[in-house]
Amino acid sequence: MTAIEGRVWLFGDDVNTDVIHPPAFYSLDPDKVRRGLFHGYDPDLQPSLRPGDVLVAGRNFGCGSSRETSIRSIRLNEVGAIVAVDFARIFFRNATNNGLPCLTFADAGDLARLRQGQRITVDPDTAVLHTEDGSVPLTPPGAFVRRIWSAGGLLELLAPG
Amino acid sequence: MRRAQPTTAKTVTSGERDATRPQIRDQAELALPSATNRKKSGEAGRTLSDKVIEAHACDEDDTALYRRVNVDAVLGHDATTALLIDDFERRGLSIWDRDRVLLANDHFSPPATAERADISNRFLAFAREREIPNLMLDRGICHQLLVEHQLCQAGGLVVGADSHTIMAGGIGVCATGMGATDILFTLATGTTWLRRPETIAVRFHGALPPGSGGRDVVLALLAILGESGAQYRSLEFHDESTSRLCQDDRFAIANMAVEIGAKFGVFVPDEVTVDYYRKRDGELLGTLVRPDQDAVYERVIDLDLSELDPRVAKPWSPANVVPLRELEPTPITTAFLGSCASGRLSDLRDAAAELTDRKVHPDVRFVVIPASVEVFKQALRAGYVETLTEAGAIVNHSSCGACGGIDKGVLGADDVCVSTSNRNFRGRMGHWDSRTYLASARTVARAAARGVLAPDLYGERRNG
Ligand code: SF4
Repeated sequence: MTAIEGRVWLFGDDVNTDVIHPPAFYSLDPDKVRRGLFHGYDPDLQPSLRPGDVLVAGRNFGCGSSRETSIRSIRLNEVGAIVAVDFARIFFRNATNNGLPCLTFADAGDLARLRQGQRITVDPDTAVLHTEDGSVPLTPPGAFVRRIWSAGGLLELLAPG
Repeated sequence: MRRAQPTTAKTVTSGERDATRPQIRDQAELALPSATNRKKSGEAGRTLSDKVIEAHACDEDDTALYRRVNVDAVLGHDATTALLIDDFERRGLSIWDRDRVLLANDHFSPPATAERADISNRFLAFAREREIPNLMLDRGICHQLLVEHQLCQAGGLVVGADSHTIMAGGIGVCATGMGATDILFTLATGTTWLRRPETIAVRFHGALPPGSGGRDVVLALLAILGESGAQYRSLEFHDESTSRLCQDDRFAIANMAVEIGAKFGVFVPDEVTVDYYRKRDGELLGTLVRPDQDAVYERVIDLDLSELDPRVAKPWSPANVVPLRELEPTPITTAFLGSCASGRLSDLRDAAAELTDRKVHPDVRFVVIPASVEVFKQALRAGYVETLTEAGAIVNHSSCGACGGIDKGVLGADDVCVSTSNRNFRGRMGHWDSRTYLASARTVARAAARGVLAPDLYGERRNG
C-alpha cells in the first residue's frame, strides 16, 4: 500500500458511527453519502477535507452501528487513513474490508504528539507515521489484514462466480 | 491461504446439506462429552464462545489468529442489505444456502420517503428473485424476528448485517453483527473469519428488586465497563441470581452488549433458555453449549442485582449512567418504548401496568412500537394495547421507527426523550441538539405519565 500524505483531523474517544455519518444521510446516492460525513458534529468539516487527509482519534473510534455508509462516506471523501488508539470491532472490519487503512498507535501516549492540521505521512506497510518533528511508531497490521489490503478488499478474495 | 469458493446457486431444502462446502459439525456432537466437547488433558478450560468457534471452524490451523468458520444463519435488513446488492450482482454471486438466510425490512417499514421506498423495493426484489423463503415482510425488527425463528438455535453461530445481531446471545447463540461487505462474503460462501475473543464472565447474584429489569442491569454493567470495556471480547453471562432473569430481560442485556463493544454477549443456557426453545419449537433442537468449569476468563465481574434500583443513561452515551434517584428532575417532551433493545411483551406489560387508569402527561408524546407483529398480537390479546391507547400512547407498526432517527417520532432540536432504545448518541434520534435518556420500559412509562424524568419516580430514595 502506498504511503498516505495529508493533514491531521483530531478527534477524541468513543466517536460513534452516528456522529461520523448521521442516519439522515443514509442513502444509496454517493453524493448524499459523501456530504453526510460529520455533518452534525461540524458541518464545515466535510467541505474542508482534502484527498489524503488522516483522521486521528483516541479510543474506540467507530463504535455503534454496522452501517457501511460511514466507511463509504470516508472513502468518498478520499480520507487516506485513520490512526487511533483503538477501533471498535465492526468499524475496523468494515474499513479493512474496503481497503481503508486503520492503524493504531504503538504507544497510546503518542496521540498527544499530533496537532490539528499538521501535515503527516502514514506508511501502512512499515507502520510508521512521519511528522516534521520525527516519526511515530504504529502497530504493524497482522498478516490477515495485510492480505486483505493487498488483495484490494475482502471481496477480491472471492473467486469469480 | 486458500481462496474462498462461493458455491453456485442451488436449491437446498431445509436439513439437506450442501456437499460442496465444509459441513457444519453435527450439533449433537456438541451436547455432551465428544470429540468436539471433551477437553484434552492439560488443555486450558474453554469458554462458551471458544467452543462454538471451534465447533464451526473449517480451517485446519487452530492456532491462527483468525479462524475461518461456517455460520448457521445470516440475518439482513433492508438498510444494510441494500448496500451489498450492487456488488453481489456485479460479481455474479449466488447465495450459498437460501434456507439459512433471514431477511426483514424493518428500517423502512413501510417507507416514509420515495427514496426509501426505492431502496426498500430494491431489497425486496433482491430477496424475491432469489426466492429467500425467510423474507419477513413488515413483520417487525429483524433481531426480534431472528430469535422468534427456528434458524436461531442454541450453540449456533449467526452473523447479521446489523450490530444488534448480538441479541441472539440471550438464548445461548454466538451471534454478532458485521457490515455489508462481510455479510456479502458470508452470503456467497456460508463462512466468515473470526478472531477468537477473550471472554469476560459476568455473574449475576441476588434478587432483582421489583421495579428493576434487564435494562437496569445492562445499564449498570455499562457504568462499570464503559463503551469499550468489552471491545473485541465475548461477554459470557451467568445467571446465578435467586430471582432469575426472565427471557425478555436477557434479550435486553444481550442486545446492549454491543454498546460495551462486545463481539458476543451470550447467556450460558439454563432452564429459562430451555423453556424458551420448548415454547418456540416444541422441543430443544439446538445444543446447550456451556463453558468448562475451569474456563479461562480475562476477567470475572460479580453483579449483585439486589442493590440495583432503576438506572438511566444521560445524553450522549449509553455508558453515561446514573441511578435515576440521583438525576436532576428532567422535563421530557417524548417517551419512546420500542426498538430491538425492548419493545417485547414484558416491556409492554410493565408500561400498561404503570398506565392503567392513568394518562400520558399532556406535554408528552408517548410512542410505543412492539418489537414484532407477533409481540403486537400477544399484547393485543393481553389488553396492553388498549390500556396504552386509552392512556394516550400512540402504538405504531413494528419497525425501528425513531430509534435510528428514521420515522414515527424523530426528535426536533428542543425535544427531550426518554427511550427504551439502546443508543442515545448525539443526533441519532433526530436533531443534533435533541437529548435522549435511556431507561427501562417501566421508567419510560412512569416518566410519560409524570411529564418529568424525576428522581422520585419510584418514590423517595428507594434502596438508599
Ligand atoms: S430498533 Fe434501532 S437498534 Fe434495533 S435494529 Fe432498528 S435501528 Fe437498529
